[in-house]
Amino acid sequence: MRAPLYLQPRLEPPLGSLLEDAPFLHSLVDSLGSPLNVLLPDRIVENAAGFRGIYHKHHLAGRVYFAHKANQASSPVRRLTATDPGTVGIDVASLRELRHALECGFTPDRIMATGPKDPEFLWLAARTGTCVNIDSHAELDQLAGLIRTYDLPRADILLRLSEFEASASATSGTKVLFRRSRFGSPVREVDALLDAVERHHGAVRLTGVAYHLDTTGVVEKAVALESCVAVMDECRARGMDPRVIDIGGGFGVGYVADAGQWERYTTELTEAVLGARPALTWRGHGYGLRNEGGTLRGAPALYPAHRPTAGPGYLDELLSRPGPSSGRPLATLLLEHLYDLVCEPGRALVDQCGVSLARVLDVRRTGQDSDDLLVRLGMNAGDVSLEEHGVLVDPVLLPRPGPQDDADEGPVGVYLTGNLCLEADLITRRKVFLPRLPRAGDLLAFANTAGYAMDFHAHHAQRQPVARTVAVTGREGSWRWCLDEEYWPITRVGGQVS
Amino acid sequence: MRYDSITEAIGNTPLVRIDPAVHGLRHIDLYAKLEMLNPFGSVKDRAAWNMAGPGLASAAERGATVVELSSGNTAKALALLAGMHGLKFKSVTNRMRVPEIKDLLLLLGAEIEELPGQSECLDPTDTDDPLTRFHQALAGRDNAYLHTDQYFNPRNTEAHAAGTGPEIVKDLDGRAPDWFIACVGTAGSSTGVARALREQDPEVGVVGLVAHKSDFIPGIRTIDEVHQVGLFDPATYDTIESVTADEAIDGMLTLIRRCGLLAGPTGGAAYHGAVRHLRTVDTELAEAGVTERRTAVFIVCDRAESYLSYVRQRRPELLGRPPRKNSAAALSEAEVRAEATVIDTAEARRWIEDGQTRPLVVDLRGPHAYAALHIDGSVNIADEIFDELLHGGLPFSKRQPVLLACPIGEKSARYAALLTRMGHPDVRSLSGGIVAWRDAGAPLVRD
Repeated sequence: MRAPLYLQPRLEPPLGSLLEDAPFLHSLVDSLGSPLNVLLPDRIVENAAGFRGIYHKHHLAGRVYFAHKANQASSPVRRLTATDPGTVGIDVASLRELRHALECGFTPDRIMATGPKDPEFLWLAARTGTCVNIDSHAELDQLAGLIRTYDLPRADILLRLSEFEASASATSGTKVLFRRSRFGSPVREVDALLDAVERHHGAVRLTGVAYHLDTTGVVEKAVALESCVAVMDECRARGMDPRVIDIGGGFGVGYVADAGQWERYTTELTEAVLGARPALTWRGHGYGLRNEGGTLRGAPALYPAHRPTAGPGYLDELLSRPGPSSGRPLATLLLEHLYDLVCEPGRALVDQCGVSLARVLDVRRTGQDSDDLLVRLGMNAGDVSLEEHGVLVDPVLLPRPGPQDDADEGPVGVYLTGNLCLEADLITRRKVFLPRLPRAGDLLAFANTAGYAMDFHAHHAQRQPVARTVAVTGREGSWRWCLDEEYWPITRVGGQVS
Repeated sequence: MRYDSITEAIGNTPLVRIDPAVHGLRHIDLYAKLEMLNPFGSVKDRAAWNMAGPGLASAAERGATVVELSSGNTAKALALLAGMHGLKFKSVTNRMRVPEIKDLLLLLGAEIEELPGQSECLDPTDTDDPLTRFHQALAGRDNAYLHTDQYFNPRNTEAHAAGTGPEIVKDLDGRAPDWFIACVGTAGSSTGVARALREQDPEVGVVGLVAHKSDFIPGIRTIDEVHQVGLFDPATYDTIESVTADEAIDGMLTLIRRCGLLAGPTGGAAYHGAVRHLRTVDTELAEAGVTERRTAVFIVCDRAESYLSYVRQRRPELLGRPPRKNSAAALSEAEVRAEATVIDTAEARRWIEDGQTRPLVVDLRGPHAYAALHIDGSVNIADEIFDELLHGGLPFSKRQPVLLACPIGEKSARYAALLTRMGHPDVRSLSGGIVAWRDAGAPLVRD
C-alpha cells in the first residue's frame, strides 16, 4: 500500500481529551446503543465568546444568534439561555424550533425567526414578540395581516435582502458576480418593500436589514454588507430608526487539522480521477470532478475541510476588509453609521461541540475481484451526514478496552458501510485510512459533527435506531453525562442543583 | 526598425546569458529568454496575437466582445489588441489578486468580472462550477463573443512552436539547449517551445515549474490547477517541480539586482527553479569529469513593476520607507491617554452651546456616515484625509478651539493627543464618540 492518506480531525479542548477517554465512551455506547451522539454544551459558550471577541475588537455592538437548525438537541440551546442576554440570541427557522427555543428558556427579545415561514410560525412569533426576519414582500403582508386580524403587538422586523449584483466597485474597479440564493428579497425591489413597511406602520417596526449569502467568498459578502449600509441610510432618510445589520452565517469550520494532509489528499484525488493512481473512492466516485480526455473538468463538490481562517477568524477578515465602494473597512463603516452587527453562525457556533460514535459490527473483504475491506458500522449515512455535506475527515478509532491480540497492526484503507440494506449506504464514499484494522466491538468516533453532520439527515428507515444524544460536562477524567433532554445548565447528576 | 503596427514588434526577443558568477554553475551556460521585452510586456503577447488575430476583423464587423478567463498578461495583451480594433474586452476570473494588474487592465479599457466564491452549504445536486456556466453562456447562439480560450486553444501553443522555440535555436547558433525550464500557466509557452526544441534535438530536458500548492505566484498554476488546462500534457515535461512564493521573489531579486533584468515573480520562479534543478546536474557533470559545456534556457515571462504590492504584502522590508512626520499611529496608548483632553457628551454640549468661543466640531467619520447623521454645525474631514493633512502641519489656527469626534472616541483621542503635541492649545476629543452622543439622546441631524 502507498503511504496512507490521512485526514485527521482538528481536535480542541474539551473534545480532544474526551476522545482520549475510550473506556468512558465505550461505557456510554454499551448503555445507550450505537449510534450515539455526544454533545459538549459548555464549548458553545466559548465559541460565542470567540465571536463576541471579534465584535469587541472592532468596537461593534449587537448579538450573535445561534442558527438552531445546525443541531436539533436541547443542551446547546439551554446552555445558551444561561449566557449574557445582551450578547447571545437564537435564530429559529420553523414553528417547532421557535417553540423549542421558548421552552428552553429563551425570552422572545433574544429570538429571531428566519427562513421560509408558515402562518402558524408567523403568528406565534408575533404573539410572543419574537423579531421576524422577513423573507419576502408577501411574507411581510401576511405578517401585518395576522397582526391586525388577531390584534397582536407591533412586531419588530428585519428585511432579508438578496441579489446584490455589484456594479464595478470603486476600490477595485471590478464587478463581482454572485452566487444566486433563493432566499430574501432582491435589493433592487427595496423601495417597494420600504413603502410596504410604511404602509404597515401600525403593525411592524423596522429594526434593520439582513442578508445571508451561501458562499465562502468574502468579496461577495463585502458587497452585500456595504449595500445594506446604503439601504439603512435610505431607511433613516424615510424617518425610520433601524439599528442592526444581520450578515447571516457561513463563516465555516475547519474539520481537518493539517493543511499538508488536505493538500496531499485533494491532489491524489485529482490524480485518481485522471486515472494516474488507483481509486480513492467507492467505484471511482469523483466528488464533482471528471476526466474529459485527460483534462480535469468540473469543480470538487467538497467542503473545504482545511481552512486557514474559519469561524470568528472569517468574521474578522470580513469586517477588516475595505467596503468596495467607500474603501473604508466594513467594521468602521458599521461603527460610523451607528449600526449594530448581528450574525447567525450555525455550524461555526457548534464547532468542537459534539462527536458521533458508532460501534464496529463486522470487518470483511468484498468479492473475489477486489481487495477492498469493508467495515460495517452500527450507524448509517443518515446518522452522520458527512457525505451529504461533502465533509471529508477521518474517524478516530477507539479500541475496545481490554486485552488485544497484535494481529492486523499497521495502517489500512477501508470503506465504511452502514446498517441499511442498501447498496448506497456508505458512511462516506471515500476510502478511509485508519492506523490499524478495526475489530468488531471497537468504536469509531466522528469528531466535530455537532454542526449539521449529526442529526440533520437522521431517519427511521428500516427501523434502525436513530442516535440518542447525551450531554457531557466536566473535564479530564471527571466527565459527567446525562440524556440531552435531561440537561439544564443548572443541574448536576441526580437532579442536584449545582 | 520601422513598423506599421505595434503587433509587428511581437517576438524576436533577446536571449541574454546570466553571469556564471551569479548562478554559480560551472559546466552550464544559463540563458534568459526575455519575453518581458514584448511590446505589451509579456510572453502572452505572442499567444494573444496568434489566437485573436485571425478573428478580429470579423469580430469587429459583428461588434463582438473579446472575452478570456485571464487574471493578467493575456488579458493585458488582448485588451490592447481589442482596443486597436475598436472592440471591447472582458476578463472573467477569480484569480485576480494583484491590484496593479487590475488597475492597469481597467486603464486599458477592460471590463473585469470576478467569479463567485464556493458554496458554504454543499448542494450535492449542483456539480456545475461557475466556469462551466461561463462556457455554456459563451456557447450561446448570438455569437457576441470572440472567446480566445487560452487554456484549450492550440493556437496558443503554436505561437511558441513557431516563434519562441525557433528563436532560441537560432540564437544558440542552430542548436537546441540541453535544458529548457519554464513556468506552467496555460502550458502554451512550455509546450510550444518544448515541441520546437525537441524537433531540433529529441534529447532536450524539459522542466515544468508549478507553484507550491498553498502559495500564490502570479501567472503560475499549482499542481492541481494544471490538470484543468486543456493544453497541459504531463508527457511534455521530464520533471515537474514546485516553487514557493518566497523562492520566486528571491529569484526575482537576483535577476533585478545582479543581472539588470527587470523581471517579475514568474521570471524569478523560473530562474530559481532552473538554478535549483541545474545545480544537481552540474555536480553530476563535475563528478563525471565532463569538460564540454552545456546550455540551459529559461523564460522571463514579464516585468517587475506590476507586482510591487505582491512584494509589499510578502516581503515589506524590501520596500522599506522612512517614518513619516506627525503620525498618529506613532503614539503609544499611554501617550494618547496622557496627552489627549477628553470630554463627555454633556460637557461637549455645554461647550458648543454656551462657550465663549464656539469650538469647531470635526467629525472624522466617512462622508456617507456623516451625511446620514451628524452633530449640527460640524464639519466632516474623514480620518484618512485628516491624517494626510497633519503631515503638513496644523490645519487650523491655534486660536480656534477644536472638538474632534469619531464613532467611539478612540481615533479622536489619538488625533487630539497628536494635535496637542503639534502645539495646538485647545483640542478636545468627544469621549465615547458619536455612539455615546446618540446613546445620551443628544441631537443628530442630516441636512
